[in-house]
Amino acid sequence: MALVSGPGRAGGISSDQELHTLKHVAYIKNLDTRKDELEYWLTEHLRLNGVYWGLTALHLLGHPDALPRTETIDFVLSCQKDSGGFGAAPGHDAHMLYTVSAVQILVTIDAVDELEKRGLGGKQKVGSFIASLQNKHDGSFMGDQWGETDTRFLYGALNALSLLGLLDLVDIPKAVSYIQSCENFDGAYGVTPGAESHSGQVFTCVGALTIAGRLDLVNKDRLGAWLSERQIEKGGFNGRPEKLPDACYAWWVGSSLAMIDRLHWIDGKKLASFVLQCQDPEAGGFADRPGNMVDVYHTHFGIAGLSLLGMEGLEEVDPV
Amino acid sequence: MASHGVRRFKPVEKTPEQRQQELQKIDEYKSLERQVSEKVAQQEYTDETLQGISDLLSRNPEYYTVWNYRRQVLRHQFSNAGDSDEEDSTKKIAELIKNDLVFLMPLLRSFPKCYWIWNYRLWLLDEARRLLPLAMSRQFWQEELVLVGKMLTLDSRNFHGWGYRRLVVETLKQLGTPTESASMTQKEFEYAKKMIGANLSNFSAWHYRTKLILRLLEEQSASDDERRKMLEDELTLIHQALIDPYDQSLWFYHQNLMCVFDPAVASRTMAPNLSTSERLQYLRNEIEAIQEMLDGAEDCKYIYQALIECTLLVSKVAGSLSTDDRAQILSWLSELKQLDPLRKERWLDFEKTLPV
Repeated sequence: MALVSGPGRAGGISSDQELHTLKHVAYIKNLDTRKDELEYWLTEHLRLNGVYWGLTALHLLGHPDALPRTETIDFVLSCQKDSGGFGAAPGHDAHMLYTVSAVQILVTIDAVDELEKRGLGGKQKVGSFIASLQNKHDGSFMGDQWGETDTRFLYGALNALSLLGLLDLVDIPKAVSYIQSCENFDGAYGVTPGAESHSGQVFTCVGALTIAGRLDLVNKDRLGAWLSERQIEKGGFNGRPEKLPDACYAWWVGSSLAMIDRLHWIDGKKLASFVLQCQDPEAGGFADRPGNMVDVYHTHFGIAGLSLLGMEGLEEVDPV
Repeated sequence: MASHGVRRFKPVEKTPEQRQQELQKIDEYKSLERQVSEKVAQQEYTDETLQGISDLLSRNPEYYTVWNYRRQVLRHQFSNAGDSDEEDSTKKIAELIKNDLVFLMPLLRSFPKCYWIWNYRLWLLDEARRLLPLAMSRQFWQEELVLVGKMLTLDSRNFHGWGYRRLVVETLKQLGTPTESASMTQKEFEYAKKMIGANLSNFSAWHYRTKLILRLLEEQSASDDERRKMLEDELTLIHQALIDPYDQSLWFYHQNLMCVFDPAVASRTMAPNLSTSERLQYLRNEIEAIQEMLDGAEDCKYIYQALIECTLLVSKVAGSLSTDDRAQILSWLSELKQLDPLRKERWLDFEKTLPV
């Protein structure tokens, strides 16, 4: 069981404001039947993320059983490496990004115990892999042994460890002070200390602080102002000042606002309307902007954004 | 990666020939992938394996595991080169690194937002630093400035590019003398200026400028007077730029400058030691200057936001909000509620928290 992460195949522009639930369910389910397309193989490095995005979208759409459970578990476990970490697909190297997806999938389908039964060394081993990527000196996290450092990995580590109940394996106070060093005067956060504020990174930093129980460190009014300025006339969010809007920021910006209790600072109706225009009403799925090619990434974050806004017909999502 | 900015098109039913061609491409790709991973598993770190890796990455630069294969092969080749006498080994290693940097160029140009390529390139340069004499590795790092300059000309907001630039500069400072390091900050300051000049909306360049100013003053051990001079130059600059008051990037830079007058964060800004009366004077001048911008731009919400922000700072510095200032804020706020319906609730919340 594995989903292709690449572009969709269909055309049509949506002007209506209806959520095409069944089309999206069908789109996601069909992703795994596209092995006769080169794109399917070229996106293998995203497979485990793709499963997580597809699965979560299906849960939010109220079709949690649309993917076969046993095959999903088998696929996840087939991606585990000796280190305890997970790669994107069988044979791919272990990396934080996929390890987090693996944990999230297993938790979503209530199968963490499979790690003890069939995994390598149980959940403790997974936790040790994640903990081994923390920089003991400054509290940051690397993606893998080759050293790339990014607040995405820090959030991923805290997210997965908290889901496994293993947060005590890492140095939380150090991780928290690393996040603080990524804060800018606009109240938002960058990918590393000194980097420009970016909505995706705001989500990872605020999410990590939420997990660490340290939201008191966030300048909520300042950050809330910066985040609310992401909404542009047409209703969509951009990721940084003076950039184009993108459906996925409905999630990155929206959930960050929700975590600091400022989601009402933007126009939810207009945002929902923008995201709905990004649907492909004929073949299902969401794109970054109206009329563009859909993919499972934007489908997941578009739906999660709509759920956050309380859209009828969707299950409620947790912003963290 | 996820598709960004690709227009949707109607699906066209493939002809049997096209189908056949696609299946053949899949076969070729899969068989190349199999060959490469088998060779790496058997630790056959040969030139032939490296060629296979290059082919595979050219077809799919997102394949992170294959970048890791490449690191393994290169490490092996470095250590082989290390078996020769010192001069020869340095030459060989430099050659290997140079060739690899050349290999990356077209990929970086075609996929400027691919994390793995930027990442691999940094790893390679760190290897240069680890394995080569200082002068040589510095030369490699120095050339990266030219490269990242080109990349940022192609897309001046690419945050991979800006992040890479920061790292390269950081490293060059470590590899150079203190004098070289200081002149580096000045050069970067000029670079940011040039990028802002090319496009005033480029907040990435404005952001870089905020960091460079702090750096520059620190490295020059600037006096309070020099710091005040810098502040005044920046205020003049942003006022000139704000001829277009509808540009959000400019206002975020302005907001950043105003932190100088905020007692809570002033210590981390370019002019930490201003007196209370100086702060109040600057803020009053600022409010006056911004009010003038309203002429002909009465519908520009950013102006009202800045007026409110500066007036609140006055109250923060003075210790209380005067009745007049409070009345002013409320009148600007009523404009904002009209002009900025998207964020109406934010303005209502703000109104509720305004001290009486």
